[in-house]
Amino acid sequence: MGDECIMSSLQVNNISKSYQLDNKELNVLNDISISLDSGDFLTILGPSGCGKSTLIRCICGMETPDSGEILIDGKPIDGIGPERLMVFQDFNQLFPWKTVEENIVFPLKLNNVSNNKVELNEIAEEFMDIVNLKQFRNAYPNQLSGGMRQRVAIARSLALNPKVLLMDEPFGALDAQTRAILQKELYQLWEKFKTTIIFITHNVQEAIILGSKIIVLGLMPATVKFETTNTIPYPRMPETKEFMSLWKELYGHLETKRF
Amino acid sequence: MTDKVNGEKNKSRLTKISFLLALFLIWEFVPVWTNSAKIIPPFHKVMVAFWTNLWHGDLLQHVAYSLQLIFTGILIGMILAFVLTALCIVSKRFNDIMDVVISIMHPLPGIALLPVVMLIVGLGAKSIIIIIVHSILWPLIVNALAGFNSIPKIQIELGKNLGMKGVKLIWLVMIPNAFPYILSGIKISWARSWRALVSAEMVFGASGMVGGLGWYIYKTRFFMDVSGMFAGLISVIIIGMLVDEFVLKSIEKNTVKKWGMSV
Repeated sequence: MGDECIMSSLQVNNISKSYQLDNKELNVLNDISISLDSGDFLTILGPSGCGKSTLIRCICGMETPDSGEILIDGKPIDGIGPERLMVFQDFNQLFPWKTVEENIVFPLKLNNVSNNKVELNEIAEEFMDIVNLKQFRNAYPNQLSGGMRQRVAIARSLALNPKVLLMDEPFGALDAQTRAILQKELYQLWEKFKTTIIFITHNVQEAIILGSKIIVLGLMPATVKFETTNTIPYPRMPETKEFMSLWKELYGHLETKRF
Repeated sequence: MTDKVNGEKNKSRLTKISFLLALFLIWEFVPVWTNSAKIIPPFHKVMVAFWTNLWHGDLLQHVAYSLQLIFTGILIGMILAFVLTALCIVSKRFNDIMDVVISIMHPLPGIALLPVVMLIVGLGAKSIIIIIVHSILWPLIVNALAGFNSIPKIQIELGKNLGMKGVKLIWLVMIPNAFPYILSGIKISWARSWRALVSAEMVFGASGMVGGLGWYIYKTRFFMDVSGMFAGLISVIIIGMLVDEFVLKSIEKNTVKKWGMSV
């Protein structure tokens, strides 16, 4: 404990959580600690059903851990709020009655980012441009493909400039090609904005392509099994040697816990 | 692509119009051939009766009277439904009580309540309005509550995550999400309110000098003005269709259909 702790933008200290299921106690998270510096891109790997969603929902404030604490800039988090924004896997995370542009502007207005209409439109313009959806500004979400909707959700979240951007398998329901494109875009956005990101996935390759830090969670109850920093230079190509060895290492940790 | 869509639209319209024309032709000739023109007057006679009664008779007055009652009833019904649904959302206890009230009142036909209402409020426009309110209030609430109960969890979480809670969350996230159900409640209510109105007026007769369409239909039958009677029926159908086509359908097209939120 010292200066390092103050520098840390996100601190998860020894959180545990259990659910009641048919009168049985189900321990989902067990004594998990994570420490992130501002600007880190953490990918959390774990087999399906290991409790990684519960972990990120705790950080978001949608769920409360039974024990332990979550600190942002040294202060405990206070419920759910726009400083920790979540991008879900579900495509239904835009407001269907609002256009692309309105979906981005509305949360800005709500959080008093600006009351100036021109300024709000400029921000929306900037972020629609960033995710290449300018020509779809007047489209409604139901007119967009899944990939486009996820892009809007990311743009909306980045425009609000959260302290931590939480992503719960946002590309999980996309086809491989779209997924690869969005991974590249997300990485570039992160390089540009240096937002602290926590990204959940069960895809080892995705974890390596995106993360500057990688954590592997074990299965039920989830504990931190393995932790590493990822220094492979970008673009991270799966056929390179270092990528492959990291892949093997991570996959090994995943595999041992699966059976 | 759009050509194909337009072609299909035109075909669909053509089918509907041809069907109506066929119906009118049957209506025109079958009563004459079967010697029953006294009971079912041919189409053109009904149309003539409709036209002359509308502009030279008292049909327009009856229509206006009915519309006035129906819109008053709908307005009161909607305000009440809004308040009661809001209370249900805010308070779980109130929702429990409402469950009981709905299961008692919802299956009860408005017309069955008429004798009770007449005893309490007496004869007059007031009783008819009460029957209309009764007929639409419960479907409105039932639909709105179904809408609120079917809001995807993710939309609520999203709203909270973006910084909304309380009234803001209800107004800006929950109501728009429930809107498809609310709208279908309104559509049901529109049809229901007409049934309530016309049947109440028939039981009731005219109150004072004027009466509505239900009374008009009853009165014309009483005087064996069969064409007039059908003219009254046609007025009911036309008003119902106009509102459905130009008000309800256009609201639907510009909201839930556009947003891809149809129930």
